[in-house]
Amino acid sequence: MIDAESLPESLSTRAAALFRAYRTGNTAVMGDLVALLTPVLWHTARAQRLEREAAEDVVQSAWLALVRSSESINDPQALLQWLIMTVRREAWRVLKRDGRSEPAEFDDNDLVTPVHEMPEEQVLRGDGESRLWQHIARLPERCQELLRVIAFSDRPDYAAVADALGMPVGSIGPTRGRCLAKLRAQLDADPAWGDA
Amino acid sequence: MSNPKKSVDEYAMGKIDSTDGDVLHRIAALYSQLDPVPDSLVDRVQFGLTLDALHAEIADLQRSADLVGVRSEGAPDVQTVTFTSANLTTMVTITVLSSERVRVDGWVVPGDGVAIELRQVGDALKTVSDADGRFVFESVPRGLAQFVLRTDSTTVEATVVTPSIEL
Repeated sequence: MIDAESLPESLSTRAAALFRAYRTGNTAVMGDLVALLTPVLWHTARAQRLEREAAEDVVQSAWLALVRSSESINDPQALLQWLIMTVRREAWRVLKRDGRSEPAEFDDNDLVTPVHEMPEEQVLRGDGESRLWQHIARLPERCQELLRVIAFSDRPDYAAVADALGMPVGSIGPTRGRCLAKLRAQLDADPAWGDA
Repeated sequence: MSNPKKSVDEYAMGKIDSTDGDVLHRIAALYSQLDPVPDSLVDRVQFGLTLDALHAEIADLQRSADLVGVRSEGAPDVQTVTFTSANLTTMVTITVLSSERVRVDGWVVPGDGVAIELRQVGDALKTVSDADGRFVFESVPRGLAQFVLRTDSTTVEATVVTPSIEL
């Protein structure tokens, strides 16, 4: 077991350290915090199928909301989770406002329903990349969202990130959970993957 | 591979290993390549957070999709953005004058005598809306900008800030 003093270094612990410094009056570190967390928040917004411009607006709104309500976040360790949740909610609100359907709340059936193909926005560099892309595209949409956001965080944070995305407990971390397991099984079954 | 293939269930119950780490690393690289974080996003967020009146109400930003990106021959490049807050709606039309400057026409409802500040990096322009709620900044340098609207200069509660946008 890990005790609280030696939490493994992860995105959420780095963010928590900066956020603590910010709250004690070192406002200059906010810039570092923004630079640290914007990639994971960007991919959270884009995984909700927001347009790029709208995703930028949503990420910015989440940061503005954080600064307004920074006192209400009791545990700095939960900052990453709070921001992911805020981005996701804000993305839904914008999708609804603009008359687009919001992604459905998680349902266990999502894990067995095959998903429509993801558009390949540009030509991928190598065989390995396009192979992996094809395998990701075969996963249920909720799994794509989970793995995409998880990929921009660190292992100790996986369970908390999954929770922020509204996934059930055990979706990922410390065990693989169904989404990552599905992908691994698909890659196993692909004879071309081993050399990719 | 000599190992027998595992089922999804077996994989699901197993601990995340270094192969998973590699796969996730490649997934991050893939998304970074296909859908990169816009170069200006971090700057935009940082700029939006440098404002003093951070406890002011944040307006909701809505772009009008039908105007964005329309570029017919000879027509000026125009985009319209609407900011909505509990008590004010502000519509802003941005017309490109040159590669360096834009004109900003605004209309705030209800809008008589609202103090409008257009914050830019290292600078701020100020004006007050007229009896119809109209205001204009005739020539503004392009770049990041944020509006601060004050209906009553004495309280922070009467202040609305907008997310920053690229003019």
